[in-house]
Amino acid sequence: MGKTDELVGVVDRAATVVTPTAPPARPSPVRPLLALTAAAAVGITVLLLARAGVLDRPAVQAWRTVCLAITVQALPFLILGTVLSGAINAFVPADLFTRVLPKRSALAVPVAGVAGAVLPGCECASVPVANSLIRRGVTPAAAFAFLLSAPAINPIVLTATAVAFPGNPAMVAARLVASLATAAVMGWLWLCFGKEKWLRPAVRHTGHQHGHSRWAEFRQGFQHDFLHAGGFLVLGAMAAATFNVAVPRSVLDAFSGSPWLSVLFLAGLAVLLAVCSEADAFVAASLTGFSPTARLAFMVVGPMVDLKLIALQAGTFGRAFAVRFSAATTVVAVAASALIGGALL
Amino acid sequence: MRRLAQTALLALIGAGLLHTALFTDLYLRYVKEGLRPALIASGVALLLLGAVNACLDLRGNREPQEGHDHHEAHSHGHDHSTAPKVAWLLALPALSLLLYAPPALGAYTAAHSNGKPVATSPKERFPALPATSPLPLTLTGFTQRVQQDPTLAIRGRQVQLTGFVTPAGAGGGWYLTRIIFTCCAADSQTVKVRVHGSDAPPANTWLAVTGTWHPAGRLGTKTAEAALDVREVHPIAQPVNAYTDDLPLTPS
Repeated sequence: MGKTDELVGVVDRAATVVTPTAPPARPSPVRPLLALTAAAAVGITVLLLARAGVLDRPAVQAWRTVCLAITVQALPFLILGTVLSGAINAFVPADLFTRVLPKRSALAVPVAGVAGAVLPGCECASVPVANSLIRRGVTPAAAFAFLLSAPAINPIVLTATAVAFPGNPAMVAARLVASLATAAVMGWLWLCFGKEKWLRPAVRHTGHQHGHSRWAEFRQGFQHDFLHAGGFLVLGAMAAATFNVAVPRSVLDAFSGSPWLSVLFLAGLAVLLAVCSEADAFVAASLTGFSPTARLAFMVVGPMVDLKLIALQAGTFGRAFAVRFSAATTVVAVAASALIGGALL
Repeated sequence: MRRLAQTALLALIGAGLLHTALFTDLYLRYVKEGLRPALIASGVALLLLGAVNACLDLRGNREPQEGHDHHEAHSHGHDHSTAPKVAWLLALPALSLLLYAPPALGAYTAAHSNGKPVATSPKERFPALPATSPLPLTLTGFTQRVQQDPTLAIRGRQVQLTGFVTPAGAGGGWYLTRIIFTCCAADSQTVKVRVHGSDAPPANTWLAVTGTWHPAGRLGTKTAEAALDVREVHPIAQPVNAYTDDLPLTPS
């Protein structure tokens, strides 16, 4: 795992440069030199590791495969999300969303949550879209409800759930209700307790500006968002792959006995494994030793909080936000799964 | 990150995606087959974006910044002509796809995972078996026939199973295994059938194994072990659809 540590170290350094109080644009002559040295160091290390055969050990190979799989799987959805977000930024009139959504924020939250059903695909697409909604004047609470519900309640994911749990429509209903409830509660929590200062200043994109080509704005917005979010996606994929390979599935059985511990344990597992929301129902279905409520928690928490999402959110909205939001979402999602699972399953 | 570097990075990722999904079958090691059109579209989109950037740069057409006042834009930490350094991480998967693609998951992962529980089929899902001998079956199909089929049709039948070798660990012996995933290799699950009566070939060897059910437990109930007494073993090429538990499609 030497390579992981080293790469994460590099990322940390890189990430600190990306804070809003970024250094002046004109790079000092030292910075390209530093960047070159860092790149050379990474390159030489990789070559040395390859020569020593470390990269070809079974565990490292499995790590590389899983890491690459998560990245490759997520890239098309990330591109879909950033294209949508760029288009919203450049082409959608500024007041469209504020006209369509109810005026009262408390009502806008559940409406935005239900609207999540229209964005097909998994969770990587929803982060940039939610960000562009906030930029276009949608109240953050409503945008976050959309962010949370979209990957969990769209038709593709619900169909996959129905296929994975044949003859058990209650599981699909429970997933839909618990996910919507979590999204709405999180939106309302943000209305009550959220602070704008946790969000990275959202003035980054200002929408269409008079005198600029809309297409150029679209292209620049897409490129910027994609490169930015993509970097964090790779970071999240590395972390998730590490757990995916290091935690043998046979450990799971140890926790399946106690009903309460098992709910918490599967919720934590969903965060660490970062399985795509289109596939998590199949993984949940395979965890046969666990109670239905625990498996529900796995499917409710997974699309809302996982390592690659936390990395994406930290990149998009800022670290202060990602930490608080993910922690609160996990608690709310576990509570919602326990309540609704207890009632329906 | 400068414009030129961004253009190069976009083109690199685009090339990586096209290499893996359009020109080779490499993507099947990582993601499901259905994602292919999306991967190709993504690769084309990124390459196009890179090409447009390059054309504009060649024409010396510096694009107007989004904030009119440069200083104002930077006080918000925003300038579309630079991208954050973290984007460089995208070069790693792109280069890995192009130059040093890791293999499909194999015996290491299979040995560390539980066997995938086999879905229970209703009784009418067990039609009479075809008369061919040996009878080709999937590992899942074999397990269902052994553990769930009330007609016990599998008794005494010669079956042919395909999969790769996973050593059983300290106790010796080995399993014939397939790794299955739904979306990508991160959600992989393993199906295993224990093999008796033959020494373990090297891990990850792809085999077609012919034999009969190894009597252990009561056939047609959960107590029956998914195990095979081997009559014949012969190596095969890794099937194209290695990540499904289907009858093998061998590369043509």
